[in-house]
Amino acid sequence: MGFESPLAIARAGWQNRRVTTAEATARMEWGDCWLAPGPLSAELAAEVRRSTGGVLPGWAPRLAAVPWVVRAKARFVGARFAHMPPALDRWIALVVSQDNSCRYCYGVTRALLKVLGYGDAQIDRIERDVHLADMTRAEQAALEFARKVSHANPRPTPGERERLVQAGWAPAAIGEIAYAAASAGFPNRIATAFAIPPEPLERWAEHPLARLLRPLLALKLRARPAAPLPAPPPEGPCADIVAALGDSPGAHALRAAIDDALASPVLPRRTKLLVLAVVGRALGCLRSEAEARAELGALGIEPAALERVLANLGGPELDRREAVLVPFARETVRYQASVLQGRARALADALPVAEVIEAVGIASLANVVARLSILLDRC
Amino acid sequence: MLSAALAGVVVAVAAVAWRLFGRARELQRRLEGASRELEALQHAFARFAPSEVVERIIAQGISTRSETKEVTVLFADLVGFTRVAEELPPDRLVALLNGYFAAMAEVAAAHRGHLAKFIGDGFLVLFGALEPNPWQTNDAVHAALAMRAALAAYNARLRADGLPALTAGIGIHRGPVVAGLIGNAALVEYGVIGRTVNVAARVEGLTRLHATDVLVTEAVAAHLDARFRLRRMPPAEVKGIPEPVVTFAVDGFEA
Repeated sequence: MGFESPLAIARAGWQNRRVTTAEATARMEWGDCWLAPGPLSAELAAEVRRSTGGVLPGWAPRLAAVPWVVRAKARFVGARFAHMPPALDRWIALVVSQDNSCRYCYGVTRALLKVLGYGDAQIDRIERDVHLADMTRAEQAALEFARKVSHANPRPTPGERERLVQAGWAPAAIGEIAYAAASAGFPNRIATAFAIPPEPLERWAEHPLARLLRPLLALKLRARPAAPLPAPPPEGPCADIVAALGDSPGAHALRAAIDDALASPVLPRRTKLLVLAVVGRALGCLRSEAEARAELGALGIEPAALERVLANLGGPELDRREAVLVPFARETVRYQASVLQGRARALADALPVAEVIEAVGIASLANVVARLSILLDRC
Repeated sequence: MLSAALAGVVVAVAAVAWRLFGRARELQRRLEGASRELEALQHAFARFAPSEVVERIIAQGISTRSETKEVTVLFADLVGFTRVAEELPPDRLVALLNGYFAAMAEVAAAHRGHLAKFIGDGFLVLFGALEPNPWQTNDAVHAALAMRAALAAYNARLRADGLPALTAGIGIHRGPVVAGLIGNAALVEYGVIGRTVNVAARVEGLTRLHATDVLVTEAVAAHLDARFRLRRMPPAEVKGIPEPVVTFAVDGFEA
């Protein structure tokens, strides 16, 4: 693997500067953040810091009203990998955030890569065409697959997974590649919906002092492989999708995110299940839609009424809050940044801020789950 | 003596390595230049074909491979535009038409429609063609109602400028189409063909007969949210379709 090897970093240093982070991010449309920072418990702040290398990012206090969203974002941002080379995660995060036009995540990831010693030219090449990058064929195939998972237009087929096997990836590693791509969409959607302001890290990464300190910082920030963990018990919502990640640490992060999200008291469980069903339908994921439908049925919604709601994204069966959130869920699947930001802001005119944060959070999580379901044979 | 020879070899190897390094950098520079040109072309080409199609062309070359898809087709045309065209000077006519197209394209995009083609003073919008869209039919009819509102707003501006107001007819049908790159070696475009497109165009023509502006077929009505207010029109004969076509006028939507 060429990633973050001394040779790759040294080679990157030789590259001429092409497009700076400031230039690259200036091309991305981005609105103003209307979420005010709130009080963040010391425990939660410490948890975030653990996953971000000691830094408390600007999004944490802004999302503080819904702790599970902060926690899930931290878990996905600080994802650990046992089977895939962990450094590949940064490149997946870069291309996915670029595809999702998430100015915040893109800026942070690019700045992080700069701190790790990669040159603008090398980053630029990977963004434009992975085939131009200093990567092995297997790594290029992984990035292409990650993009397909993120686009989900159409969803990657078993044949495309098979191509990764042929490129040399083990099934467990493929699961982690899909997880890295799908889970990157969570922070992307949260940051985009609320137009989270860029981090000072972006400017700092360009500072001469940062270049001087690069070797030390790279040592601290370098991604390290994690040990596999015993797979979570095969129970709870979306258990089969979690189980598809096997003994990857990602399985635990996903399990915890789903459980925390559904246990949160901000929105009713029924509302959250409706959001899951809508996103599942939008992505053609019959499995996650069916699971949400079954749970909604258990909550007392008649199948015919539910079908009407899902077919029309509305109906008299929905309460005032659901009437707003059900059509919104669909907007989080494939979107333009400015449109998503406008829709999230419009939600805030109708609902309390905590409900908006939770709604964006659950829709973002539904997107992760439905995209990951490609790991299952049928769906 | 030996050390001098060794030094000579080292210098020679270094010189060769330096030349190879320089050559590699030059090749890389050229490759990046070509990539940038390709990227610029891709951006330019995206104005004429969907970006997904452009990406596919770049990856696989121009292929005649087509696919059958279930889509909803919205066909819109201006009513009585020939008379307007004859009365206006060319520059004002083009400005009027471009303003109309701009307003309609914005509405189409806002409802996840892909404006596939301008045909004279008409245009064709596809829903569910470029990405899977389980709500394609509702989107298309919502788009038609939004076009009705957008045209009313545009007409108010035209009247204020002393220009004639426009009247549009919209026909919507849902069914299978063959989508792909259509054309010859000189001119290729992404398009859809099939009976569904023809029916949408014919249904648009029926707006004159039924004196309404938005008509949908039974296939559309069957997939439509019950909150749309529809009025059943009498069956009408249309060219190229053996059976009389039943259509529904769309009066509005009960939010």
